Amino acid sequence: MFKRPPKPAAVTLNLAPMVDVMMCLIIFFLLATRLVGAQYRGVELARADAARETPSSELRTRVVINVALALTGDGADYIVNVWDGQQIAERVLTPAEIAPFLELSATRARQVGEELRCVIRADRNVAYGTVEVVLRACGLAKISKIVFIAKTGEPESAP
Amino acid sequence: MRRPLAPTSEHIPNLAPMVDVIMVILVFFLLGASLELSREGVLQTELDPRSGPGEGATIEIIPLVKIALEATGAEDDCNVYVLGERLAPDGFERLARLLIARRSAGADPTSPVVIAAQPDVRWRFVVRAMDAAVKAGFSNVQFAVGLEGRSE
Repeated sequence: MFKRPPKPAAVTLNLAPMVDVMMCLIIFFLLATRLVGAQYRGVELARADAARETPSSELRTRVVINVALALTGDGADYIVNVWDGQQIAERVLTPAEIAPFLELSATRARQVGEELRCVIRADRNVAYGTVEVVLRACGLAKISKIVFIAKTGEPESAP
Repeated sequence: MRRPLAPTSEHIPNLAPMVDVIMVILVFFLLGASLELSREGVLQTELDPRSGPGEGATIEIIPLVKIALEATGAEDDCNVYVLGERLAPDGFERLARLLIARRSAGADPTSPVVIAAQPDVRWRFVVRAMDAAVKAGFSNVQFAVGLEGRSE
């Protein structure tokens, strides 16, 4: 007896789980972006046309000081990332702690034959007096190479 | 004669366009995040090793140009002086033109350009002055730092 061949079944992929995973990825990246921004507590950099994009390897041995608008009051917070023996942790320095911190970092760099650079990431709205504190501390620590981070790109709408 | 109803077929929506759109959005956010990070640049300077409060004595740097920035009390403005003369209006545009003119006239690019700002001047104006000096070709930008501790 002749048997009819079975009808070929339509192959359809169930894409719903893939969409679920992608939605989770999108939400993850959105949240992660926000968290990275919050790490610098909204340091809004000043813009400079002459600022040159430089690979971090070119800056060699360096210490980065973020000068952010203070959460309370009119001053600034000096935020550095330091190695606490287990992980890199954020630390807020007082103005009096900056010079000893830089001196210690500069001494460690000299011990390995390097010259320390001080990288200053200051918020565009902080007063110059707060950045001057860091410059004065660099003088005390005998750090002469100073790097200011600025924003490049489109012009600012406000001065 | 009444026909029996056809069995309802399982309707599976085509999700491929949705996946395409989501992929595009994902790539957009990834690229957007990395572009945001790469838009930071550096302005470098080397402070005079004799300078600084660590020496305990002042030194005198004879600048080619001394730029003074004075706070006006307004958040979005500051007065610009070059060698004691106020540049107004459009202080920073005039400062940029003046520095370019100095360089065109043959000024040494390694000559010190000193920026002296009042403590309450906003940082963005100091960067703007430094930007003008670097754009004009001056590489030796110095900052006048008071000896008195003004830490808050």
